[in-house]
Amino acid sequence: MVNDAGQLYTMEGVAAGVIMLLAAYIVVSTTSIYTTGDTHIPDMQLEQLGSDVLAMMDAPDINGTTSALETFVSTNNGTGFNSTFLGYCNATTRGTLDNLHMSANITYRDANANKINEYPFVAPDNTWTGRESAVRATRWVQLPKLSPKPVGMPGDMRTDPQAVLVEVLLWRA
Amino acid sequence: MADDGVLSLDFLAGFTIFMLALVMVLSMVPGLLAGLESSGIDYDAVAYRTGVILVEDPGWPAYPPWELYDRDNKEEIQRMGLAVSKETPNILLSTKVEKFFEESFFTSEDYRSKVIFGDIPYSYNISLRSETYNYMTGDPLPPGYGYIRRVVKIKEPGVAEIKSPGPEYVIPDPSAPEWNSTARNFTVRLNFSQLLDPGRGPAYRIDPRTEPVNITITNFGEYRNITGPSVNATLHNVTFWKMDPTRPNPRFTRIPFSYDTIDANLYTLHINGTADQHSLQPDVPVDSSISLVLKPAATSLFTLDQNSILDIRFNFEDDPPRTNITGTHPYDYTNVSHAGLKTAVLEVAIW
Amino acid sequence: MNEEGQWIVLMGLLVAVALFFLALIINQSALVGQTTAEGVLEFPKNDIRDLREAVFDYVDAAGALDPIERVDIEKDIITISLERKNAVVQFGNGTPQDVSGRWLRPVDIHYNNGVTVYNETVYY
Repeated sequence: MVNDAGQLYTMEGVAAGVIMLLAAYIVVSTTSIYTTGDTHIPDMQLEQLGSDVLAMMDAPDINGTTSALETFVSTNNGTGFNSTFLGYCNATTRGTLDNLHMSANITYRDANANKINEYPFVAPDNTWTGRESAVRATRWVQLPKLSPKPVGMPGDMRTDPQAVLVEVLLWRA
Repeated sequence: MADDGVLSLDFLAGFTIFMLALVMVLSMVPGLLAGLESSGIDYDAVAYRTGVILVEDPGWPAYPPWELYDRDNKEEIQRMGLAVSKETPNILLSTKVEKFFEESFFTSEDYRSKVIFGDIPYSYNISLRSETYNYMTGDPLPPGYGYIRRVVKIKEPGVAEIKSPGPEYVIPDPSAPEWNSTARNFTVRLNFSQLLDPGRGPAYRIDPRTEPVNITITNFGEYRNITGPSVNATLHNVTFWKMDPTRPNPRFTRIPFSYDTIDANLYTLHINGTADQHSLQPDVPVDSSISLVLKPAATSLFTLDQNSILDIRFNFEDDPPRTNITGTHPYDYTNVSHAGLKTAVLEVAIW
Repeated sequence: MNEEGQWIVLMGLLVAVALFFLALIINQSALVGQTTAEGVLEFPKNDIRDLREAVFDYVDAAGALDPIERVDIEKDIITISLERKNAVVQFGNGTPQDVSGRWLRPVDIHYNNGVTVYNETVYY
């Protein structure tokens, strides 16, 4: 019933097919294509840079003084914070400036309603649309008693000493 | 029976194996797109690790600090880190930075084995820039490399500047009998237990064991003996004295030191603002200023501990005495002007 | 049946299978570099350091605050951590003790962000 002529041809054909496939695979795999898998590394670099800059802004230059970050937050000085932050981020050792942009929010707890709210501290600029993915860096700030409350701070924020979280979004334009 | 169009069993078996192999290979195609470059795949990770070692680690050995080792003991350095201490990441010490980037002290093999720690010999380029520093070590950058950038602050040593004569440093009545010797001594006192007070963070602490001690006396002409002839006083010598207050009978003892050799690695003494270097026994007339910088390499030779008191005594000897300077100036946090931490950028490239 | 050449073809098949196996190994090794960066991103080193400094600032300031303000700040840190940082934190300080001549308080800090757990007792 079964015609067993041509068995050898069949085996030969199978082996040839497998070898051809392997050759094709090796040829194709010698090229490499940039994909989304590699963007984790720039994310890590940006996130470390953002955390570094926030930590350095939170270290007072002279012992006993308040740090620049605490001063900016407690006086609600978003423009000063923006320019100092970007000045640190964009500095390179070659002297040229990098092209990083940021926006920042401050998260606080509304004690009466026991809810978490946030208000914008630095608004994003016009590179916000069409940007690469942004990373988030955060820093705790202990605010002293704010009297009077600076202009621009939301009404349900306490004036007593409190802890707020500064969140900075950093992206490369 | 007509057996046209009947597939043989062998053919089916072969075709099945072929289809299985094809399906498996096709399912590996997404793996091709992950970017297979096996040699370059960890450059960024090694650069990040090198950045962490430089910026967040004070190095090993920490006491005595690795930056005080000279060429003969260079091999004992296990890790070069630039941070002030383990508790102050991202704050670097200026003496460590200067030693790390010192020309022709470390070879590229030293950098590879003490900072980069790779199994294969990576090429590197480490650079640091601030308003006052601009250092680089390594090879020029190629087109593709792994990279990390860290923002840091640098702690610089303070300067004790003794300017116009305050009343505590001038002899009130030179003709009084207790001042009739020819020696005039001015002392700068470093009380280590006060300086190394653990209540103050390491980033703001004055530590003479790791940072240079910088004493500048200006306006020296004001201290001249106004009743005598208007001639410059002579700086006879500078001596170091130490005392251990925890001992039962604490006394000052003179520290043995090679006072007559000029060694720029241990100290620099400039008189009257000129660039000439003097030994610690200059015997030179002073009319405007004295500037002494005592490097930590010298302080480590003095065998001081955290309770010692170190006195630096400036001896002006003339007959008749030509200056009215006297007293003890404490080198502490109120008298030493500290410039504050300076921001800088450190970049590490590995390829 | 013609049984010549069976060995050659069998060896050919074996070699093909071996090459296929090696290709599989190379394929899986390509993912090594990607997971290194993810591992660095995943460990919350900066978050934990920041939390420690925030707790130390709280301990420093706690002496001058009244109990309601102290509890408020503690609640601030705990609720904001949970909401924005996806981490459960808990901290407290005890009575000062004598540690080699200085009076230090034991401060304990607990942090858990689902992937990393960090517990510390430090004298500050």
